Amino acid sequence: MTATAVLPKGGGAVRTRRRQGRHPGAASAFLSPAVVLIGAFVLIPMVLTFWISFHTGTMSTPLGEMQWAGWSNYTDVFRDPTHRQAFTNTAIYVGLSLLITLPISFLIAMLVYAPKLRGSALLRVILFSTYVIPTVAIVIIWSQLYSPQYGPLDVMLRTVGLPEPGWLSSPNSALISLVIFNVWQMIGYYVILLVAGLTQIPQEVYEAASIDGAGAVRRTTSITIPLLRNTFVFVGLMTVINSVQVFDPIYLLTQGGPINSTLTISFDIQRTAIQYGLAGQASAMAAGMLVMIGIVGGLVAVALRKRP
Amino acid sequence: MIRHRMTVAIGACAVALALAAAGCSSSGGTGSNTTGSNASGSSNSSSTGAGGSGSTGSPVTISYLTHWGPDQVKQLEAAADAFHKDNPNITVKFQAVPFANLLSTIQTQGSSSGGATIASIYDLWLPGLIKSGVAAKAPADVASEVTSNWSEGLVNDVSSNGAVYGIPNEVDLYALNYNTKLFTAAGISQPPTTWDELVADAAKLTDKAKGQQGFGVITNWAAGVDHPFLSLAASNDGYFLNSDKTASALTTPNVEATAQLYETLLKAGSTVPSMSAANANTTGPYLDNFANGKTAMIIMANWWESTLKQSMGDNFKDIATAPIPKGPSGTKSSSISYSWLTMVNAHADPAAQDAAWKFLTYLNGSQSGKNGSSAMGDVLMGMGILPSRSSDLTAHASGLSDPFVKTYVDEIPNATPFPIAVGGQQASDALQSALESLVFGKASPQDALKTADQAVNAALQSGK
Repeated sequence: MTATAVLPKGGGAVRTRRRQGRHPGAASAFLSPAVVLIGAFVLIPMVLTFWISFHTGTMSTPLGEMQWAGWSNYTDVFRDPTHRQAFTNTAIYVGLSLLITLPISFLIAMLVYAPKLRGSALLRVILFSTYVIPTVAIVIIWSQLYSPQYGPLDVMLRTVGLPEPGWLSSPNSALISLVIFNVWQMIGYYVILLVAGLTQIPQEVYEAASIDGAGAVRRTTSITIPLLRNTFVFVGLMTVINSVQVFDPIYLLTQGGPINSTLTISFDIQRTAIQYGLAGQASAMAAGMLVMIGIVGGLVAVALRKRP
Repeated sequence: MIRHRMTVAIGACAVALALAAAGCSSSGGTGSNTTGSNASGSSNSSSTGAGGSGSTGSPVTISYLTHWGPDQVKQLEAAADAFHKDNPNITVKFQAVPFANLLSTIQTQGSSSGGATIASIYDLWLPGLIKSGVAAKAPADVASEVTSNWSEGLVNDVSSNGAVYGIPNEVDLYALNYNTKLFTAAGISQPPTTWDELVADAAKLTDKAKGQQGFGVITNWAAGVDHPFLSLAASNDGYFLNSDKTASALTTPNVEATAQLYETLLKAGSTVPSMSAANANTTGPYLDNFANGKTAMIIMANWWESTLKQSMGDNFKDIATAPIPKGPSGTKSSSISYSWLTMVNAHADPAAQDAAWKFLTYLNGSQSGKNGSSAMGDVLMGMGILPSRSSDLTAHASGLSDPFVKTYVDEIPNATPFPIAVGGQQASDALQSALESLVFGKASPQDALKTADQAVNAALQSGK
């Protein structure tokens, strides 16, 4: 067994060296289009963003005419309470989205995956449709749902004698209202990912556990959740990345208000760059956001590496 | 082998850099003579700006960026067609974007010769666009035309350091809009003329059981928050900035009194914060509540007449307008005023710039419209917006006597122009945030204005 396992490896290595010998630049040649594209559309803009973050100028100032500003854009961003609030709001938005999305999408995925459930395929399509429809179109509906006083949600709450929270019109509820919108819009996508993860768990494991006397709860906690670990990490990472970049609903529904309670980093970057003409400060914020995403991505990578 | 791979990798990176550099250079620079692509991205736009020379007889196509709707664009196109008959070498194409996207479109296309040749802009944006070199100085003949035919205040709004940078078109003021049906039901025969009357009437017009507020305010939209507040402040002899526009004037007693007026209305329940929200399209609950008879009074600009008519239908007959109620320290009612103008892209080809100024002179001139009005004046009046050219005001005298609009027209001499300064938009947003804190009970009048004062000064400083 050992010998047969070693031989093909060695043979493979020989073949690889032989191929490389015949086409020494093949790998580089095949990779170069991707390198060009990534360089032109990802790396260069990223480097430029960092470069602009150390300069002052507007969106219309040619790069050559921008003035060196050192770290002042970064210090200005962190000294300004409005920018700090944007970072705080984004962190709250991401945290709440993560906390709500993961358990709900898992529960729905379990329900949808249940083999005996009729119409589960249709349910998956319906759930996924919220992710496919453009945000602009959905926003029209949600702006009506959230309308104070005459909106359907307020009418329902009033009917049962509950107080109306104000939804997007109140600084106390505007951010959570956007989180609810985000969860509703994205949950179908995460459910599909988790269902895909569920299909990878062998049925034999469940059967063995059942024979050993494990009930539904024990099977879920001891088999399903541990074996879905990688999928959970991926869904969590996607939730964080999507939530950090939230822009459309804020731009369309609240413009960051009231009292900057829905001001997030992406919207603040846009406003600082376009409305205020401070491209350097906006780039410093973008660089900060990139670092934040990098840290989260790094933590996820570490978590994946530590898997049993 | 390794060296060979490195060579290929370096080559790939060099190609990437070259491509990027090519991309950068195609969007930068000025005065290219290549008939290039139009960065507008509009379906009805064609090659633009660069190329040819109107003055030497070569065809030139210019583009005009606006935030107006399809009906107004059709009117502009008709004017452009008429202009084209006399100037067959100049073709004007139009691109319309929503208001919320207008400045971003100008900013992102502004450094390119292929960007829009003409853009319609809010006067508050002009200092920033001049600073970043996007707005072109008007030629001497156009500057002379502007100074001769527009009021001094409007000429100042489109000027910087004595140079004219655009042609004014729309002028907007604020007035008290009120629902006469609700007034009659509450037994009130006249609109309030003083703050005391405003407070008393608002209380009478408030009916919590019906979800009805006496006096509405707006949130989530800087101009909608700031301008009504500053109009009330101006009617109490209080101002946003000092006279040379270098620092905030928000902590003066007359402005503080305005904030206290808001607090009084809020504490009395006459103003309901949750009914105040606006969205990116400057519509939303605040408009719906007024249109549905749930808000009895609100301070709003003249331009929303067409929006109100559209929302209210026949019920628009119940809406009337009155001057801003005067404060205890004020000598007269005074509304904040602001204007819009058309500017020319300084990065456009010189021939395109010449053609653009020529078209704008025609569009805003007294020969292009009906009965001595400019074509621009006709377009504005079609939307219920006040034109600003002196001869347009005369030509549309009958239309401007419409009861809704007349209040605004009559208040033009008493108007307080919104201060135009670099960093003005950031300062405006800072005031908005502070006022929203006051409206939602998160700050006292003094604390809100103190916060706004510091943020406005910082904004004016950062804009320098």
